[in-house]
Amino acid sequence: MSIRTAYFIVAVAIFVLALIVIVFYYYRLSQKSSQKNWERLLKRLTAVDRSSIAEVALDIIDESGQQRKDEASAVLEPSEIWKLVGGLKGLEALEANCAVLVDLAFYVQQWYPEALAVAEQLRLSAREIEWHVGRLRSAQQTGKLESAFQMYAQPAVATYYLMTRRVLALYEDGNLAMLADLRNAL
Amino acid sequence: MQLTGLDLLFWAAGLGAHLILLSVLLIRRRFKVFPIFTAFIIANVGRTVALYFVRLLGTRAGYFYTFWSLGILDTVLQLAVVYEMYSLTFRPLGVWARDLRGTFIWLVTVSIAVAAGLTWLAAPHARLWMQVVIIKGSFFSSACMSELFVGMMVLAVKAGLPWKTHVARISQGLGVYSIIDVLIEAGHSYLGLERDSPAYTALSHFRMTAYLLCVAFWIVMLWRNAPDSRRLPENMRGQLTQLQNMVNSDLEKIRARQK
Repeated sequence: MSIRTAYFIVAVAIFVLALIVIVFYYYRLSQKSSQKNWERLLKRLTAVDRSSIAEVALDIIDESGQQRKDEASAVLEPSEIWKLVGGLKGLEALEANCAVLVDLAFYVQQWYPEALAVAEQLRLSAREIEWHVGRLRSAQQTGKLESAFQMYAQPAVATYYLMTRRVLALYEDGNLAMLADLRNAL
Repeated sequence: MQLTGLDLLFWAAGLGAHLILLSVLLIRRRFKVFPIFTAFIIANVGRTVALYFVRLLGTRAGYFYTFWSLGILDTVLQLAVVYEMYSLTFRPLGVWARDLRGTFIWLVTVSIAVAAGLTWLAAPHARLWMQVVIIKGSFFSSACMSELFVGMMVLAVKAGLPWKTHVARISQGLGVYSIIDVLIEAGHSYLGLERDSPAYTALSHFRMTAYLLCVAFWIVMLWRNAPDSRRLPENMRGQLTQLQNMVNSDLEKIRARQK
């Protein structure tokens, strides 16, 4: 057997093994997602300071979600935003909640195909916030966190604020029993 | 060319299994949701019949060219089935999910690069250059296919997009078969394509067994109905359309604020 053939056999073995491990890992994850119910999902939500979130969000949008154009808008300094959202840790809590909202959207898409459009919008919003927080993490690693914070953090918080309001509205309309728990968590 | 009893058995089983699967797709009306997958199964029925007659009545060279020509068609159709499964999973609202568009390009690029790297490493035992091309081409396509199915599973879980029941079953079947096929093609590369050798025959029978199990899995799973969806309360339904418009509008504003 030539050296090249030996390399080929080892590489194929590693390749197939890696695929099998990935398949098992993600299959188990998907099974867990399918078996989740509302109560379990809600338990995963991390409590956040809603008044701080609202303050950061309402600095750039109004209650209806319109972008503010008055002189008193967008006045928060990066340091204030940093403090209000609890720094990177606070944003990571939002990111964690977004992961739960993605699961909520998954649940709705799986069981209520009629609600597909709303669920997809929620999922996309959550993924957008995850993207913002990911950029902040990169900025932290390159030492540019301060300048990047306002650029990514405030839109992320505003998106989170609007999205959670939509989620609450969705369940209020559905008269679902877990609304009180959801309101506390979000 | 003579066929052994086992060869005939595999051929008959393959044809029978594909015909049963085709009947399931037609009777259960799955062909409407999976037109490309249905075309793939029809092509497989045609391929099995054509190869049987060419092997029985034709020359060795005729069989060789028919086998590999139809093999290329089979690979193209498998890629089309991958597209169909991706489309049914990642276009929940009729357009490709915008958070995944970049990831698709990354996934396809990495899949091709990894498959090309492995293919480059392969040093097939073959006498003719055409055999080398066939072995390498088959290995490349099976490696790519397995990566695309595994990638699809990873993306769906990470992005939080549920696999519809039958999409999941078709993908799981083809995905597992593709991974097994990588091993078989690696075996062909190591052992060569000498058609009368015991190793080649054993690998061919192993491939046919794996594929027959895959088709049997599809028959059972596609016959079964997906779990029933739950109905939304009427008041919730009315609000959903309104909510969708509001969220759309909100996000546009947030994005505009970023620019």
